[in-house]
Amino acid sequence: MTRRRAVLGGVVVLGLGGVLAFAIVHEATVSRAAAPRPVPPGAPRPALTAAEEAYAAALWPIHSEVKVSALRMTFGGLSYKMKEIDRATLRARVEAARQTYHKAALRIRALQPPPSLEKVHAEYAEAVHLYEQSAAEMGKVFKDGRDDHLLAAYPLSREAGEKMLRAGDVLWPGEYVPN
Amino acid sequence: MSKRVRVRMFLALLAVVLPMGVTTTAPAQAPQYSVWLVESSRFMGVPFGAFMPDRAFVPGSTNPMNNINTVDLPVNIGVIKGGKDIVLYDSGWKQQDYLKMTGSAHWAPLPQQLAQLGIRPEQVTKIVIGHGHWDHAGQLSDFPNAILYVQREELRGIEWALNYPNPHIAAVNTSPGGCARTPACGYPPLTVNEIYGKVLVGKAVIVDGEMEIAPGLIIHPAFRAHTAGSQLLEVNTAIGKIVFGSDAYSDWEAIRDWMIANPQQTDTVQQFLAYEKCYKITGGYQNCVAAHEPLSYTDKYPLTKNSWVGPNGSRAAEVTLAPGERSRKP
Repeated sequence: MTRRRAVLGGVVVLGLGGVLAFAIVHEATVSRAAAPRPVPPGAPRPALTAAEEAYAAALWPIHSEVKVSALRMTFGGLSYKMKEIDRATLRARVEAARQTYHKAALRIRALQPPPSLEKVHAEYAEAVHLYEQSAAEMGKVFKDGRDDHLLAAYPLSREAGEKMLRAGDVLWPGEYVPN
Repeated sequence: MSKRVRVRMFLALLAVVLPMGVTTTAPAQAPQYSVWLVESSRFMGVPFGAFMPDRAFVPGSTNPMNNINTVDLPVNIGVIKGGKDIVLYDSGWKQQDYLKMTGSAHWAPLPQQLAQLGIRPEQVTKIVIGHGHWDHAGQLSDFPNAILYVQREELRGIEWALNYPNPHIAAVNTSPGGCARTPACGYPPLTVNEIYGKVLVGKAVIVDGEMEIAPGLIIHPAFRAHTAGSQLLEVNTAIGKIVFGSDAYSDWEAIRDWMIANPQQTDTVQQFLAYEKCYKITGGYQNCVAAHEPLSYTDKYPLTKNSWVGPNGSRAAEVTLAPGERSRKP
């Protein structure tokens, strides 16, 4: 009798132990599955869809031209302020940039972004518009000779540069690498 | 007294008086500056071979030169305080939108990083950019009173590339995913615009070669040592001369071991000559300050070992203090 009780007790203890072990393993598994996985710094992000890739590829040649023009326009202002070029040379550079922005704006309008990139598309178009406005403001220097217009043009191109970076962050990750 | 004796006495007198004269006419000793280093951000998991070709990873290698796969590269900014000046050497980068693009971590605004040193943005008097790349010449507009020092050669180099007739050389970026190290690579319009902004408001000095910007603070040209118009900054301190090199000194171990680092638009011969400049000025390699040394803020890069963790996990180091300057280390 005592021996049977002892065996029974052992079975019960073993059973309870099994249930407890199962519960611990089960809870741990469920918890792991439910918890959001921490994303390590520098982890790759989801790839663009095929439609997004196609849009990014279509915008790329426009982007390259806009970017070069933005830099040339800035360098025009720099060289002018450093008295390395005269007003006529600056005028030619700014006008060339303005035309590039204008043509780019028309080409961008013709692009059809996928729904997921409509916001990015709008932001990029706004960036080009701001660059065009900045060029127009710089152009006023040639009419009245006042350098104040360069100061007024500056925040426009600055904002354009920021918007372009924001759009580029989505479309061309890795456009700029550690330098 | 014989004539010979009189002449000897006169010469002896001269021997005493002349050194006194030399002493009194010698230039005043340059002040000693306090120096800190702050980490603008950290580029995570960069293949070592891309950063230092001589240390490319070889799977299974036990050679310490080739057994490291990837490295985390800090973006170091120098903070120099002395006399009436608070000077930044490089200004890191601000474009937070880049954070995902570059696998960067621990970015914090430079004003916040300076706050831990008790420095307000409007107190910064000078910013010397080692070169104009986006991760070294950002955040300029956050320091309204600071005069920017940039080499004319740096600006010329970018513009030369932009206007070069061959599109492969003129390219700002040639393909999605990278700009292939063309000469104008690494200069986003926004970064160049910030430099232009300083010029526009009369807060920029366009430097031609060497220039002493304050007693004991000397800019040295290091043209093509990383970019067309790279420049070094020599700083007089209590632990001797220190030389900041930005990306001409991308890696401190490279200076020690005479290896090239972070090639980009680098003329490797000029990079070695820039290393030599540090050896000549400081008497060795210990006091050469590298922009991206992975060992920064550790005992293995002794100059930077007195470090702590600041905003958003970025690190900082107290390199040396001028006499009377209090420690900023928490």
